[in-house]
Amino acid sequence: MTPFELMEPATLAEALALLDPDDPDVRPIAGGTALMLMMKSGLYRPQRLVSLRALGPGLTSIAATPDGGLEIGAMVRLAEIERSDAVRRAAPVIADTLLTHSNVRVRNVATIGGNLAHGDPHMDLPPVLIALGASVRAVGPGGERDIPVEALLTGYMATVLGNNELITALVVPPQTGRKAAYAKVTARSADDWPALGVAVSVGSADVRVAIGAATETALRLPQTEALLAGRRLDDKLLREAGRCAAAEAPVVGDLHGSASYKRVLVEVHLRRALQKALAA
Amino acid sequence: MSAAPRTIRFTLNGAAAECIVAPHETLVDVLRDRFALYGPRESCGQGLCGCCTVLVDGAAVSGCLYLAAFADGAEIVTVEGLADGDALHPVQEAFIEAGAFQCGFCTPGFILMTTRLLAADPNPSDEQIRHYLSGNLCRCGTYPQIMEAVKLAARKLQG
Amino acid sequence: MSEAKIATGSQIGRSLPRVEARAKVTGRAEYIHNLRLPGMLHAKIHRSTVPHARIRSIDTSAAKAMPGVHSVVIGDDILAVIPDPYFGPAFHDQPILALGKVRFAGEPVAVVLAEDPKIAEAAAQTISVDYEELPAVYDEVEAMTSTAYVHDELKPAGMFADLKHLAGKRDTNVALDYHLRLGDVDKAFAEADHVFEHTFRTPQQMHTPLEPHVAVADATDAQVTVHSSTQTPSTVRVEIARLLGLPENRVRVRTAFLGGGFGAKVYVKLEALAVALSLIARRPVKVALTMEEQFFTISKHGSTFRIKSAVSKDGRLTARYCEVIYNGGAYADIGPRVAQKSGFSAAGPYDIPNVAIDSYETYTNRPTAGALRGFGCPQLVWAYESHADLIARALGLDPVEFRRKNLLKDGLPQATGTVLRDTATEAVLDRVVQRIGWGQPFDRGSGTIRRGRGIAIGMKASISPTTSVATIAVAADGGATLYCGTVDMGQGSTTALAQIAAQALGIEAEAVRVVAPDTDMTPYDMGTLGSRSTFHMGNAVRRAAEEVEAKLAAMAAEAGVPAGTNLPIAEIFRRKYGMQAGTVVGSGSFVPDYVSPDHATGLTPNATPYWMTGGSGAEVEVDTETGRVRVLRLVNVADAGTPINPRIVETQLTGAAVMQLGFTMSEEMVFTDGQLRNPSFADYKIPGIRDMPGLMTGESVAARQESGPYGAKGVGETGTFAVSPAIANAIHDAVCVRITELPITAEAVYRALRHAAGDPLPED
Repeated sequence: MTPFELMEPATLAEALALLDPDDPDVRPIAGGTALMLMMKSGLYRPQRLVSLRALGPGLTSIAATPDGGLEIGAMVRLAEIERSDAVRRAAPVIADTLLTHSNVRVRNVATIGGNLAHGDPHMDLPPVLIALGASVRAVGPGGERDIPVEALLTGYMATVLGNNELITALVVPPQTGRKAAYAKVTARSADDWPALGVAVSVGSADVRVAIGAATETALRLPQTEALLAGRRLDDKLLREAGRCAAAEAPVVGDLHGSASYKRVLVEVHLRRALQKALAA
Repeated sequence: MSAAPRTIRFTLNGAAAECIVAPHETLVDVLRDRFALYGPRESCGQGLCGCCTVLVDGAAVSGCLYLAAFADGAEIVTVEGLADGDALHPVQEAFIEAGAFQCGFCTPGFILMTTRLLAADPNPSDEQIRHYLSGNLCRCGTYPQIMEAVKLAARKLQG
Repeated sequence: MSEAKIATGSQIGRSLPRVEARAKVTGRAEYIHNLRLPGMLHAKIHRSTVPHARIRSIDTSAAKAMPGVHSVVIGDDILAVIPDPYFGPAFHDQPILALGKVRFAGEPVAVVLAEDPKIAEAAAQTISVDYEELPAVYDEVEAMTSTAYVHDELKPAGMFADLKHLAGKRDTNVALDYHLRLGDVDKAFAEADHVFEHTFRTPQQMHTPLEPHVAVADATDAQVTVHSSTQTPSTVRVEIARLLGLPENRVRVRTAFLGGGFGAKVYVKLEALAVALSLIARRPVKVALTMEEQFFTISKHGSTFRIKSAVSKDGRLTARYCEVIYNGGAYADIGPRVAQKSGFSAAGPYDIPNVAIDSYETYTNRPTAGALRGFGCPQLVWAYESHADLIARALGLDPVEFRRKNLLKDGLPQATGTVLRDTATEAVLDRVVQRIGWGQPFDRGSGTIRRGRGIAIGMKASISPTTSVATIAVAADGGATLYCGTVDMGQGSTTALAQIAAQALGIEAEAVRVVAPDTDMTPYDMGTLGSRSTFHMGNAVRRAAEEVEAKLAAMAAEAGVPAGTNLPIAEIFRRKYGMQAGTVVGSGSFVPDYVSPDHATGLTPNATPYWMTGGSGAEVEVDTETGRVRVLRLVNVADAGTPINPRIVETQLTGAAVMQLGFTMSEEMVFTDGQLRNPSFADYKIPGIRDMPGLMTGESVAARQESGPYGAKGVGETGTFAVSPAIANAIHDAVCVRITELPITAEAVYRALRHAAGDPLPED
């Protein structure tokens, strides 16, 4: 790693002022687990890092909202979310997903805001949060805005966030009457980044389907959702949905497997994720 | 606040410690270079093998992915801090009794992780042990004996 | 005063915890990784970005200008301190830093020295090299006929007599060819009832010891000291002395505990570079690799094995032809030895009257391949035991019965002509069969989940010719210090050798201290490799202890102690010297008999001092919708002779099987146009604790190697032999498809299922 300047502002306003909209060599750092990997490999050589660790308690709490949803501060560690009773009650699929996300040490350090802002397609949470209809609250010089997670991620390691814009919270809407499941598929060793992640959320009249890891970025599969909407989810339809998703998903081949094999995984694991959600 | 070195103060294995670090230095490097603590050691360099495991405020972290600057004010424990004088920690005893290491390079990481696992869950199932330790790699392949050691340690800690 | 106790029981068969156990669990065990010397510089390597090229020029100006950089060294600078800077145990073909050419992407081209390793690393990244690219060859089969030559001329090291015929040979990529001819193979095939032929492949893989390679050199004109994570301190000393033109006694090589070796750390790796840099800089220099850099340092051979067998109607093997081509990468390292030694046993542990073997080591433009836990043997067993199952199935024979019918039994000559002595092939096979429950009903699954079982057995020759020397000094309190060059890299040699010495001296193993290898103190040993330490060094240690015993007996007699009196050793010293004083030193050496194979026939009546046999049984579950394989049970059985320390032997067996499980299921160095795409744990996946089978066992059968110390033989590699084919055979049993190439990924199995269904999956 090459030397850089480390700033540790005490307020969000100070942090925003230290970021530079036009200089990619200035970045915020939260837990830093992903950023450290990029810096150690020489992929990223920052001039300045702005630490978000001292921004105060506003960003570090998990709150159940009165309507049954969740509001999770951006600086909350993944391990806290994994162990949170509020999360377990409102959206158990999030806690279940975190159990196999990276490892204990990373979850002890990585934050939810950093995890989402990183934009890495091989992460488990984005498809889950997309299926749950979650959004992030972001703040920049122009003020605050809410961004659905599915709109946050725009491509490989790319988001809509400006260089001087920070995620402050994750907002998960109430999941009343819905059942969700996530299928993590690893293709090499058991402890690996997913070759494919499939998340589904089944409501009374609709099904949300999102996939990640096998694609350039996590995304929804609208054709598959349309096929499932309002219909009885019998075995025949689930199989059809699997085929539809395999055809619809823009999968890419990589070291985890070829694109044609990943389409097979999409077909099988979408069906299984739906079965798991229905059984929940 | 800059690229200049800064003084950090923290508790290290129960004693007050301070040192001067540059912002880009990692915790594992600082513990080795400034404090001659060689229990944490960098191997994969990517937080995947667990050889550099250090406890920060009671939570296991990968010292190779953790900026030393962030340790300011924290309570740091390395494997060297587990034994009480000549008396080994029960987890250390269990690893010896179960023969749960070969080359020993990954051992401090496995032992520290096990102390945290058993602190959180004194009587874990096999599945829980495997999930908790899935981020620690042993190239000597001593996993069957490590499973035994963790269960033995759980029994020792429960008296 | 604490005196060494007279042993109250046998030290052999004691499951003593490792003597260094406390140091390892407290993080205080010594590794060279931890070493810092005053005034030390750190070296960081700039590596080639192309697989095969002439170097036109190297621009180091930006690196030299960087604040904090001490100096930048390129290949030409090495010539000033080492005029002929080519090294290697079999061929002197590897330059310390690239000279004129690079032969694989990742080859060391330049080095930056700095007090701060981060500065050295940043500076190394600024070096730029102008290359004129050359045609390259990557595949071992293509290398046999390619006109892209990795080396202009072969340069055998002269250490091995059977490489002499290759000296000066041009226009070839074949670094060694070993041929064995037994009986009349052509006639047997012509007359055979059945002929089977298959081809099996394995990919290039890596040891990934968790302590990456490290060497610290402190060299002056008068004395050279190298602290290294080496498995072979003595042979490194010989090679460094040769490079520098110094007598051996001016070169000191020492090591400590190794954070894993597995063959990665045999012979010179970083030591020559560290010494050259220290001579140039006139300061101590540390060369410490990252995990990523290890992938460009040494690896396990990829291989292609074409195997053909003639079988009689009643299932007897009548002839076998083996063509094994190893992918040795850019430099020979010990690869030619791998090709030859594994060639001995390429036909497997079977009694076959007519055998022909052609085993080749090839050069390619890939990272170098060398020794890895089994020395080629796991690649061979993968092929011949997969082949064995295919034959049995084709003939409608039970795979176990087919093996029993043909198994090489103790007392019979192996294909080389060397007779098996104290080799428990039958007991190993029987125990695997029993442990996996072969022939007993089990849940074969249904629907999309199918289960199956498979077994396999393999055999390997040990090392010869080779030499081990040990010295034991007994102090006046009766405690013994063992000086030997065996390196403890996790296999438990320190403990096992202490037990052997203690048994011979009649004291408790705890009273024996084993010093870490240091060529200033510890006598010559060829190296800690090929499962040789327990047997070879164990025999040397026993002889050294027996010499000590004889001297103590003489001393007791001299002091007037009646023969047969069981006096504590300390008392003998007191009688002799009148106080706690004196030392008794004994030494022992062991050189097994060996007859070099005939060059034309490859035959020898004495290929090896002993044979190692390992068998595995696997039960797997296959998800037919995805090809995903779960190994439910993996039982591993070995002939370890009489184990010195049963617990450590068991751990070595399960550990080796876990390692081979990785080589079987997930590990593969993936290349595109000679560029390695996955040199890290992010994308090169070794097994973790969640990859463990539900049942994983390692055990040895009751056996005794009469020529070994107290009946013991080596065991470090044995657990690897049969794992891969046992799993492939179980998959075949479960879903009727045959995988012929490692690793057995879910995608590979799924593709095989689709192929078998007549509906192959498109490639991309």
